Amino acid sequence: MQASRARLFKEYKEVQREKVADPDIQLVCDDSNIFKWTALIKGPSETPFEGGVFQLAFSVPEQYPLQPPQVRFLTKIFHPNVHFKTGEICLDILKNAWSPAWTLQSVCRAIIALMAHPEPDSPLNCDSGNLLRSGDVRGYQSMAKMYTRLAAMPKKG
Amino acid sequence: MDDCISSDEDYYDSDRDSLHGLENEDSEIQWVPKGPATKVITKESLLAAQKEDMRRVMDLLSLREYHARTLLIHYRWDVEKLFAVLVEKGKSHLFATAGVTMIENRSNSSSEPSSMVMCDICMEEVHGNDATRVDCGHCFCNSCWTEHFIVKINEGQSRRIRCMAHKCNAICDEAVVRNLVSKRHPDLANKFDRFLLESYIEDNKRVKWCPSTPHCGNAIRVEDDEFCEVECSCGLQFCFSCLSEAHSPCSCLMWELWIKKCRDESETVNWITVHTKPCPKCHKPVEKNGGCNLVSCICGQAFCWLCGGATGREHTWSSISGHSCGRYKEESEQKAERAKRDLYRYMHYHNRYKAHTDSFKLESKLKESIQEKISISEERESMLRDFSWVNNGLSRLFRSRRVLSYSYPFAFYMFGDELFKDEMTEAEREIKQHLFEDQQQQLEANVEKLSKFLEEPFDQYTKDKVMEIRMQVINLSVITDTLCKKMYDCIENDLLGSLELGIHNIAPYKSKGIEKALELSACWNSKANTSDKYPPSDCGTSGGLSECERLTCLNSEENGCSSRKRARAEVVTGNFFDLNLPAEVVDRN
Repeated sequence: MQASRARLFKEYKEVQREKVADPDIQLVCDDSNIFKWTALIKGPSETPFEGGVFQLAFSVPEQYPLQPPQVRFLTKIFHPNVHFKTGEICLDILKNAWSPAWTLQSVCRAIIALMAHPEPDSPLNCDSGNLLRSGDVRGYQSMAKMYTRLAAMPKKG
Repeated sequence: MDDCISSDEDYYDSDRDSLHGLENEDSEIQWVPKGPATKVITKESLLAAQKEDMRRVMDLLSLREYHARTLLIHYRWDVEKLFAVLVEKGKSHLFATAGVTMIENRSNSSSEPSSMVMCDICMEEVHGNDATRVDCGHCFCNSCWTEHFIVKINEGQSRRIRCMAHKCNAICDEAVVRNLVSKRHPDLANKFDRFLLESYIEDNKRVKWCPSTPHCGNAIRVEDDEFCEVECSCGLQFCFSCLSEAHSPCSCLMWELWIKKCRDESETVNWITVHTKPCPKCHKPVEKNGGCNLVSCICGQAFCWLCGGATGREHTWSSISGHSCGRYKEESEQKAERAKRDLYRYMHYHNRYKAHTDSFKLESKLKESIQEKISISEERESMLRDFSWVNNGLSRLFRSRRVLSYSYPFAFYMFGDELFKDEMTEAEREIKQHLFEDQQQQLEANVEKLSKFLEEPFDQYTKDKVMEIRMQVINLSVITDTLCKKMYDCIENDLLGSLELGIHNIAPYKSKGIEKALELSACWNSKANTSDKYPPSDCGTSGGLSECERLTCLNSEENGCSSRKRARAEVVTGNFFDLNLPAEVVDRN
């Protein structure tokens, strides 16, 4: 318990320092609870998510960093490895490939990398996975772009 | 009465021959010099049992014990396979896949203790003395290591605790784990040791826990054939392959399907079937706790949740090649129509199976009344001193009755659509079914005759009448034994042996009943081992406890249970007729 707090506090300080360094990620800790974080990440360029800003919710277990944080998308996203309804993410480092050496910041980076390189063979969103698996890259991209525009971009007017 | 035995009558009519027929001597000749290939591994001999395998690996690769153990755990204690990988792919591949890293640069770590070290986990600067560098070269502070170990041990991952660094495959030195964990949680360190020790049973296809409840604490090791039936020293008889009751000539799959069909499925079973899938490698039920359909078992095997098939590990960042299981397989249309016919068919086989298991239970009561009759006869007739034929006949009856009852579920699946629909044509099936049923009927008739003769009140008969019954019992014993053997031959060669799609193995027929496993001697003596009687020198950090001592600690923990179980085992083994009683009959006694 104490160890996880101390480590999260360190990460908090690190985030304050790095804010300028990585403009794609904005990690914010809940004011009253250091185990709850949210992040705003920018959709990587040259992907259908470009231009969108996606919100992630982190729930950090007490045994952090020995156990991985739970992360989900709060912003709707059309991606093979993200559950369309719940925002659950299928990413190996959030499950069995977790290493305590990861930080919340590096998890965000891994999620951005996942957005750019979807893994259609282990889909949580089957529709999205099937589009990619059947080779319909255009279909996938236009769907993903549409949802990015609907959910992850500021409304015009 | 003569016509009962028909053509076999002239076969065993002289006294000498019949003596020969009391027990099948042929099988004894094969049996004695080899001895039972199965061994009982008790808590006391568990260490000795694995030392042998570890020593072989240590000697060949000049390794330390914990490295040998890590290798063996990775290769599931299959020394031959480990050596094969060594020959094929070389030492470095062997070590890398198992997570064994040899120390190459110990020199620069020696300079550390004085300096400060930055731990990447807690992000604190710690004194070099408070940090530990493991074989792979990664260094973290002791408190983070300890937390990591505790989490992993509690997760049941004791046998493969990896380094905390990202993508580092190295397995942590067990001495480091033991040393750090025991400082904070001595109990957990003991648990860790037990997990390591029990890996020899849990991760080894040649060794399995005895499935007795309450558990007797023993495990059974087989030498070569894992399709066999064994008797543990606690008295329980079981099929080594599937751990349920001994069920040959049914194959394990047939038996599994059969009991599932017969039993009112309990809530637990329902839950397990609905929520878990068996791992394709270690066959433990795996529950999916979230994520995509690529599930990873605790043993490390990745598999597809949809079809249960094994897949590769690199599933998130690359693709699973050639894996598509979403194809729809067309179900047969007249399912509803067939259901009724299937039910009648099942009832036919089940009724006969049930009838024979019931007779089996009734006959096991017979042994008491027979003992009485024997003692009466022994007092009355001084001429007939030997009544061993009664006992031999009775155990032959039990064995054959057992074979007979399990032959019904076998026939149900062998000649049904469920398993082998595409294996044979209707005509082939009919021929095979007739062949089998002829043998089954013959056996059935002779078993019933044997049962009838054994039930005769021979203690009230004259000497001549007793001699006649003796003759009949001996003859029928030989006949049923031969018929059982023939039936097994037919099943192995003509029925299961000719299958092309499914592989079904059955435990071979043992004329003398199910083999009793011998206790593996606890003190393993070898020249190599005399010098360091107390195991490994590299366990120096284990806080002064040698592995033997730790082992005894574990034993005392569970003594209450094992003594209770031992007592029961004595009752069972003390009895002559326990040879082929099913578990439920033994339990009632």
